[in-house]
Amino acid sequence: MTSRKITRRTMLKGAGAVTIGLPLLEEMLVSTTTAAEQASVPVRAFNVFFGLGIPAPLQTEGFDGVLEPLKPLSDKLLIMRGVDHVRADEKGINAHYDGASAAFTAEPPDGEAKAGGASIDQMIRHAHYPMGLPAGMVPTLVGGTFFRRSRVGRYVHSYNPDGTVAATMQEKPRDLFERVFGTVSVAGDPEDVQQQRLKRSVLDTVAEQYKFLTGANSPLGANSKARVAEHLERIREYEQRAYAMKDKVAGAPDLPAESKLLHGGEADPGGMGIDITLEELTSEWRLMADLYALAIQTDRVRFGSLTFLAAGERIRLTGDYEYDGKRRFQFDDAAQHKASGDKGCSHEWWHKFDEKKKNEQLRAHAHMKMREVAYFLQRLNGKEAMEANGKSIMENSLITISTESGDGRHNDVKRELTGVFHAITGASGRFKTGQIMDVNAEGLDVYNTMLAAMGVSGRLGPEKRKATSIDAIRV
Amino acid sequence: MKISRRVAGIFILVSFASLPNAVAQQADRGLIVLYDFAQGSGQTVRDVSGVGTPLDLVIEKSSSVRWTNGALVVESSTSIASAQPAKKVIDAVKRSNAITIEAWLKPANNAQTGPARIVSLSSDTSQRNVTLGQDKDFYDVRLRVTGSDNNGLPSTSSPKKSLQTRLSHIVFTRDAAGTAIIYIDGKQIANGKVNGNFSNWDGKHRLALANEITKDRPWLGELHRVAIYDRALAPKEVQQSFAAGAKAMPGTPMREAVAAGNNDVFDNKVAPLFAKHCLECHDSAIKKGGLDLSRKVAALAGGESGKVITPGKAAESLLWESVESNEMPKDRAPLSANEKVALRKWLDAGADWSVEQIDPAIYLHEGHAGEIWVQRLTVPEYIETVRSTVGVDISKEAREMLPPDLRADGFSNTAYNLNIDLKHVEAYSKLAEIIVSRMDVLKFAARFSKSQLLSTDDTMRQHVEAMGKWMLRGPLDERDVNNYSGIATTVASAGGDFKQAMTYMIEAMLQSPRFIYRIENQHGGGAQRPVTQYELASRLSYILWGSSPDEELMRAADAGDLADRGKLAAQVQRMLKDSRTIDRSSQFLSEWLDLGRLANLRPDAKKFPNWDAQLATDMRDETLAYFREVAWKQNRPLSDLLNAQLTYATPRLAEHYGLTSLSEDISQYDLSSVAGRGGILTQGSVLTVGGDGASMVSRGLFVLHDLLRGTVNAPPPCVNTTPPPTKAGLTQRGIAESRIADANCGVCHARFEPLAFGLEKFDGVGAFHERDKHGNALRDDGEILFPGEAKPVPYKTSAELMDLLANSERVRESLTWKVTQFALGRPLLAADAPVVAEIHKAAQQDGGTYASLITAIVLSDLVQETRTEKQ
Repeated sequence: MTSRKITRRTMLKGAGAVTIGLPLLEEMLVSTTTAAEQASVPVRAFNVFFGLGIPAPLQTEGFDGVLEPLKPLSDKLLIMRGVDHVRADEKGINAHYDGASAAFTAEPPDGEAKAGGASIDQMIRHAHYPMGLPAGMVPTLVGGTFFRRSRVGRYVHSYNPDGTVAATMQEKPRDLFERVFGTVSVAGDPEDVQQQRLKRSVLDTVAEQYKFLTGANSPLGANSKARVAEHLERIREYEQRAYAMKDKVAGAPDLPAESKLLHGGEADPGGMGIDITLEELTSEWRLMADLYALAIQTDRVRFGSLTFLAAGERIRLTGDYEYDGKRRFQFDDAAQHKASGDKGCSHEWWHKFDEKKKNEQLRAHAHMKMREVAYFLQRLNGKEAMEANGKSIMENSLITISTESGDGRHNDVKRELTGVFHAITGASGRFKTGQIMDVNAEGLDVYNTMLAAMGVSGRLGPEKRKATSIDAIRV
Repeated sequence: MKISRRVAGIFILVSFASLPNAVAQQADRGLIVLYDFAQGSGQTVRDVSGVGTPLDLVIEKSSSVRWTNGALVVESSTSIASAQPAKKVIDAVKRSNAITIEAWLKPANNAQTGPARIVSLSSDTSQRNVTLGQDKDFYDVRLRVTGSDNNGLPSTSSPKKSLQTRLSHIVFTRDAAGTAIIYIDGKQIANGKVNGNFSNWDGKHRLALANEITKDRPWLGELHRVAIYDRALAPKEVQQSFAAGAKAMPGTPMREAVAAGNNDVFDNKVAPLFAKHCLECHDSAIKKGGLDLSRKVAALAGGESGKVITPGKAAESLLWESVESNEMPKDRAPLSANEKVALRKWLDAGADWSVEQIDPAIYLHEGHAGEIWVQRLTVPEYIETVRSTVGVDISKEAREMLPPDLRADGFSNTAYNLNIDLKHVEAYSKLAEIIVSRMDVLKFAARFSKSQLLSTDDTMRQHVEAMGKWMLRGPLDERDVNNYSGIATTVASAGGDFKQAMTYMIEAMLQSPRFIYRIENQHGGGAQRPVTQYELASRLSYILWGSSPDEELMRAADAGDLADRGKLAAQVQRMLKDSRTIDRSSQFLSEWLDLGRLANLRPDAKKFPNWDAQLATDMRDETLAYFREVAWKQNRPLSDLLNAQLTYATPRLAEHYGLTSLSEDISQYDLSSVAGRGGILTQGSVLTVGGDGASMVSRGLFVLHDLLRGTVNAPPPCVNTTPPPTKAGLTQRGIAESRIADANCGVCHARFEPLAFGLEKFDGVGAFHERDKHGNALRDDGEILFPGEAKPVPYKTSAELMDLLANSERVRESLTWKVTQFALGRPLLAADAPVVAEIHKAAQQDGGTYASLITAIVLSDLVQETRTEKQ
């Protein structure tokens, strides 16, 4: 196929419940001429992170086990087993954090808020776009649906070469929408833009305090509540005037609804975890996934990361879990743990993993995570994601999917940071796909091999280290 | 159960000391749950406290218990527990930092141990908030505080062999200062310290009787009564409760002291309606038709038409007849249907009076003004709070950006009127930015923790807790900590550093409702409740300083010291020495006399060619300097402000007053030999209330309202209120006298215009003249009718008027009411009157100074306790 004319964007429809209407997008109208010019598709790289991981023994089950949801996409994925990040271990720091920081960087964290170095996507970005991305494009998009947030490395997965975050995390669908499709009336200085966004989040925190005082648990009486409610309304009005999106790019879809999930500090109440239903979780995640995918489809974004649940995520999930039209499990973490607080959270299933047992709950959680990761990948693999070269965005891009550990028991660091699940896409034929491969290699070598294949001259990790190329993954 | 502060009528012109105090008290204050076991059957033990949502307890095995006459006999192990967490108990006790557990019980034996749980607020055998238990032959109380473990250990125990297997009254109290006492049968038998506070109480614990929640620490015996209070009952109250017996309802002894029924109707309905509708014409001074309805004896005696009240028979009462037919009030709006019903009911029930005389002033602010409103910081309070909290002077910008607070009921700190506008929100946001830009953020943050870690896995949460407690004037709850910690993670995820995180966090806290408003817990089942230590610390600091508590006050709140009367008084004495107290008192003066009005004065230039804005400023400065001299430097009674023979004046103002200038700056002038001038009523700042024409109406009303707390109704509709001009042979006074002589106008004008006769020699801008512009000689003699009195008191000169006012108990009381209103930030209600009377008495006994008055106010129930709303 040399050209493809998309005349109408229909609907991106989530299998769960979320649907966003997508009106005509100018960016989607690709003329024949334009298509000819784009015979070679752009270089893109994205990191997709999911929390808590898949214990290595479960990975050996292939698509018969928790990886089942990836099976429909298996011909476009290379699943790599035996990748280790043992070098990322730092004494005294939670292995959740070490492992999460190592994902896509292969290095231990540098302090509490920085990675040890660049992430894969940023290495590729700097190599292929040394002068920056085309004007108007979002240089890096970092988004996610997550709650645990005590350290940045738990949920941000795109880092500059100096280890700082590559872009501000967008954790609400509306914020991500505005970042991609909105324009704000702030002078062009990126620092000003970032400051505006932070100030808005400060105002959100302030509004949250007022909101509490107007709610059912407010210590205030009726008149006082009314006064505070009035204050809250004025804050909303001020927020609208000061920080609201001034305009959106031509043809962008409608602004999504306000997020209904907890965000900011409330989402991580001192590590004690939150209650959430599967419906709530997946509704927002799928909206995020839809929007992120749309940003890629409309070529507003070529690099970045997307997070589905943070490292060491602490949620008490409830709800029926269905896959392929069948009810597979009923999530009810707290009741099944017979515990409350952090001890009633799903992450405890990872701590309690025992390969000699059924691990039903862990399996269900991991399966569900794969289902949701696959949801995002499908958005980049459908008709609406087909590109000028006749392949899908998923096939043309480097999408690296990884997590934090290969075991969650916290009693053997080496085991915990070994066998960390990895899967990559073909990146326009650069990597083998349609395989489950036991690479049994250090993550640093795997990543550097990926960089080499992507035409990046720079390498991750210490300069003096003896590198081993993992050629088996390359075509 | 009704828990309400009783409204008491007031004897006017009788010392406040004669007011009955008991009527305002409630012995059941602080009750949260009560189980009296009177129901006699069923599987639910009912909470009959009447406070909030009942916390009923479910009996798991009915075969294990037996209901007897007023008791529940637990014969074998079962569970008697609430289905939900005991939220109302936990919330209330956490707020007050004090608790009482009271039980009437009869243990089945003196062998059960565990301790066997009698009353337990817990989740299992090692996690509890509080448990009263039996350990063989003694009682044991485990109480969780920040100084104990989660099991409430170490515990407080009664002596061995103190437990008897007979019906006993056992009470455990722990006050906010940490003192724990166990009483058995009214006698104190053990005490100790349980140091710490209740902030670590678990909000999920359930309440159980006769067993642990986990059902493995059973207690057997009879339960006759169990009650929990959110305060420590005093020894006398414990004795009273014991004496009242197991079946006494809370507060019974005091309730008996309160006359019920018809007096309630009089206090709450009839006296206010008399004040509103009748006393304008039928008080002691006017007594139209010979009828004085303001005094009990006179009202029952009747008027020229004979008796108007026939107790027990409304239908035969002339009063009812004239009101029902709307014949009365004459030329005024008739009584509402509800008012008529109340009046008839009162007459039919015997027409009892609870007071000898009605003071209409105390009923001025019923209705909406009695509602409870959160207080937003006024502009001066915001400025001072920022200065005290983060050390930044934001006065210039705050005064420019924040909308001015508007006066309501005489003061601009009246809570219900402190509304909010978009401009406020915008200003708070921008001011927060400016404030942090002037701060050394890292140095400020280091006050609370040396750590500079962003991670909320590390020290950030503790950092937020410590900084938030200071900035928001009390401990943060977990939700607050989560919220503010979220800013740190958000900043981190945007690549920001510790300093940036702290900067944004401080900005957020500066805009928090807990910074902008004085947030207090307003729930409490509609009863009065003692304020918490931190609420009290804020009340003290805002009343005395108009600012946030300092470190010493916060330390005292942490330690529970403010619950100790002696330590509290010492704190007040310390605070009085701070210059902010004087500044705050000057704010009171400015508000009371509305000195802000001077900045807007624009007198007719033709009439007053020498006037300019500087003169207005000089007048304001005169009054403020005079106040500081009299009230603080000379520490004189506040009433001396009316006749102290000195003033302060700039050379310009001195010339305006006809004084010889003493220096180039504002200076003190001795007025003892200056005829006519001396006291605030003779200062330009107050004299200008009369406007260009030196209106006797305006000046008289000022004296009536702001010095005498007199009441007068608005003129009837369609009355021409434009006075005729003066002319040769007709002075202001002459015009006033003709108004007073008018049958329609005189009823009211006689009450206030003569009050201004003594000021006739001062023109509209306060200059002194013996003759007006027509050459008419001016006078300063007159008479003063004190509200409630039948006869006016004559005065020959302005100086005599000032002395009469300065020596008037009514004026002193009015000053007490005004300062109290400013301190509370709300108009005072009839229900407040008994406490205000106590304040007045205490302040006068201590010299009647501002310091003594403000001390009496902050030590009174009006500050120590708070009104609440039902949830």
